Amino acid sequence: MISAADAAHKPLPTPDADTAAFWRGLRENKLLLQHCADCAHVQYYQQASCRACGGENLAHRPACGRGKVHSFSVVHRAPGPAFKADVPYAVVLVELEEGPRMISTFTGGAPDQVTFDMPVVLTFEKVSEEITLPRFKKA
Amino acid sequence: MSRNSLRGKVAIIGIGMSPVGKVPGRSPLWLAADAARKAVADAGIRKGQIDGVLSSHAFASPFHRFSVAFSEYFGIQPTFSNNLQVSGASAATMFNIGAAAIHGGLAKIVLVVAADSLMTGLTPDLALRSLTESRDQQYEMPFGIPVANTFAMTAHRHMKEFGTTAEQLAQVAVIQRKHASRTPGAQQTAPITVDDVLNSGLVTTPYHKLDCSLISDGGAAFILASAEHASALGIEKPIYILGGGECYTHEHIFLMPSLTATGAIESSRLAYNMAGYGPSDMDVAGVYDCFTGTVIMMLEDLGFCPKGEGGRFVADSQMTYGGKIPSNTHGGLLSFAHSGIPGSLFHFHEVVAQLRGECGERQVRGAELGLVHSLGAGFATNATTILGTGNTL
Repeated sequence: MISAADAAHKPLPTPDADTAAFWRGLRENKLLLQHCADCAHVQYYQQASCRACGGENLAHRPACGRGKVHSFSVVHRAPGPAFKADVPYAVVLVELEEGPRMISTFTGGAPDQVTFDMPVVLTFEKVSEEITLPRFKKA
Repeated sequence: MSRNSLRGKVAIIGIGMSPVGKVPGRSPLWLAADAARKAVADAGIRKGQIDGVLSSHAFASPFHRFSVAFSEYFGIQPTFSNNLQVSGASAATMFNIGAAAIHGGLAKIVLVVAADSLMTGLTPDLALRSLTESRDQQYEMPFGIPVANTFAMTAHRHMKEFGTTAEQLAQVAVIQRKHASRTPGAQQTAPITVDDVLNSGLVTTPYHKLDCSLISDGGAAFILASAEHASALGIEKPIYILGGGECYTHEHIFLMPSLTATGAIESSRLAYNMAGYGPSDMDVAGVYDCFTGTVIMMLEDLGFCPKGEGGRFVADSQMTYGGKIPSNTHGGLLSFAHSGIPGSLFHFHEVVAQLRGECGERQVRGAELGLVHSLGAGFATNATTILGTGNTL
């Protein structure tokens, strides 16, 4: 059960067997995407097999870091005490140049700068020894 | 229509609802039992005749097996029981699966029941948990995503692609509030205007406070039996399950195939096919309305208007009396009540009451066919049920 003290801290991901390499990559400022050697499908969500063909020949390659904003929503009412100081902030659904989409937040400017299909680039924010979060700024 | 179709095999023979809105001091089990007692009385059966129970998780209840805890509380020992959990879509799945269980011989009389007390029953710990643990722990939560955010991003993209406006979104809330004003017991009944919605404070763009559903206490219950059984029991107005369909397109919002075309297209197509009716045949609808934009998108995906025209359809008064499809005539999650997973059961309660002709001043005249669509988790889960009177068999 989460306590009030815990809720005041931002939730940090706990890497697991599927995601250890992904979070290790982020620590080295690389966003690792899984490329399927069998069907060329590219996936962001880390798993043991390709969602398109079921193959297990997946190779990690760093994303080029370019993408565009497919959709976004500027948060004015924080989801819990930990995010209260940050509002307003823009949650962005970014379509990476390699194809997959991912959720992140906009950084490096006011949230009202964000528009649909706006080009963005990846940036890395170290939030703990273990965790570096991928965020996006205006290209 | 397949030979094994459920069409018309099972009927809803009893309905019941607890008080809704702010119901302090009552547990989810109390609310569920209150609704169930009323449904049993409405059907004119004895509770001991119930041999199947379908329910779902109640957030404010400590029981992991709510359907089992409910049965103990209610004093019955069913031989078929389960807790269904596909978020907001759970409601319609209870009817689809309840009908399948009866048709397949697993039970003779199934009680569908769910209740929760999100407004007054959550301990501070549970409330915090509901705020912080609803999305993926690694890919979504670290970025501070409120529950409303995934739905907001779909509506926002809809605005970009089709020119849907904030005023059109607000119109959904205004219409449903008007509906709620004629529903006894509704949580919010004071009239609102488009300006009231737009000035109610942003939650997460494009949604303002009044674009968002309520938080409520309450529950509802239904008795299901085979058509033959309903007839043998002398049920006056059985309401038949004519079709059901479901569709699960993704779990994470970033893997949703399209932000503006949802699994409701497929779930409703399956339901219409089974029923042998189409959208233009429906007289009344219960359309899941966790947010105003959700309704606009669903009116399109359920086939009531072409893709992209939902905003204009609503602004043109097509989702209310005199329009193409009077929807959420009780007020919906936006104004009647929203107690979590049970919220969509209120849509079922309303549509059944409409088909029975029991809605008084909010009756849709001559309603014979109705659709209820339940959905959840940022459109990850979609389930549709089509209901009809004896004349529609």
